[in-house]
Amino acid sequence: MQQVWNDIKGLLTGRRASKEVAKGRLHLVLAHDRTGLDGAKLQEMREEIAAVIAKYVTIDAEAVDIQIERVSRESTELRVSSPVRNHSTLS
Amino acid sequence: MGKAIVITSGKGGVGKTTSTANIGAALAQQGHSVVLVDADIGLRNLDVVLGLENRIVFHMIDVLKGKCSLQKAVIKDRRIENLFLLPSSQVDEKDAVNEEQMLHLVGQLKKSYDYVIIDCPAGIEQGFRNAIAGADEAVVVATPEISSIRDADRVAGLLAAADIPTRLIVNRISAAMVKKGDMLSKDDVIDILALDLLGAVPLDDEIIATTNKGVPATLEGTCPAAMAYEVVARRLNGEVVDDVVHNVGFFARIGRAIGLSHTA
Repeated sequence: MQQVWNDIKGLLTGRRASKEVAKGRLHLVLAHDRTGLDGAKLQEMREEIAAVIAKYVTIDAEAVDIQIERVSRESTELRVSSPVRNHSTLS
Repeated sequence: MGKAIVITSGKGGVGKTTSTANIGAALAQQGHSVVLVDADIGLRNLDVVLGLENRIVFHMIDVLKGKCSLQKAVIKDRRIENLFLLPSSQVDEKDAVNEEQMLHLVGQLKKSYDYVIIDCPAGIEQGFRNAIAGADEAVVVATPEISSIRDADRVAGLLAAADIPTRLIVNRISAAMVKKGDMLSKDDVIDILALDLLGAVPLDDEIIATTNKGVPATLEGTCPAAMAYEVVARRLNGEVVDDVVHNVGFFARIGRAIGLSHTA
């Protein structure tokens, strides 16, 4: 009930309850912490993955993005997205 | 054979030592024999929180160096039957102890006491590894703040890797701030950390006042935090107990309004 009221208040005032901001930030931070990867390692992995993808399809290596997200209490998901360049425009 | 429980948190200043003192005092008041072990070598504090600082002659490092027997270093609390303290050293460094020594020491204590409660230093280095070395169970203390929860998660991961069953105390919850949506609730913290809850301790001015005096809050009376620690102690002992419901009655509200109490 309190939650619902806070949500309504948030909608009316355009202000999110600060605890919701904290929750969102914690989910991101913990997901990263739990992989045990630091920024440099993550960058290295991103480049290697981009190189592998580039062997098979034409991509913009810089646009390869890795997102780490907690999907549930116990599991964390690593998601790689890579926009593929359209071949018809290349040839 | 007693049980060894380590109280840890990763982050400093979230209430590890206060929790250790109050859980220990509550368990002793409930009739169990309890020895509290200050594992924070070089930065001892459990003695002052308990008000036993003037009684220390020997400490843990003296025992390990063979300067005195274990029995000689353990101090008996004169106010609470069955409560004892093994103080830490204020002059030695963290590496004056290693994990095997700690394991042996805790093993010895478990032979004589029902509960060995170890107050872990902040951090995840040698001091932490020493403190968890002899522990059968762990309690992670976290406050509803981002930095505390992040560190608690890290520590919970290390405890899981060491195969130590771990439960959570959410400390310093302000009911008023939770209500406003400006503080993570007990359930939010449980959900984020995915740990079983051992207890929720409200933010309570009495904790500061009793610590000033060097008296465990559970000995002083019935402030909300003391009642929460009594529940924690019972649950550690395997009893199934409901959370304390902190009734904010009419007079308490008036008292709060005119500034007599800031109990959350």
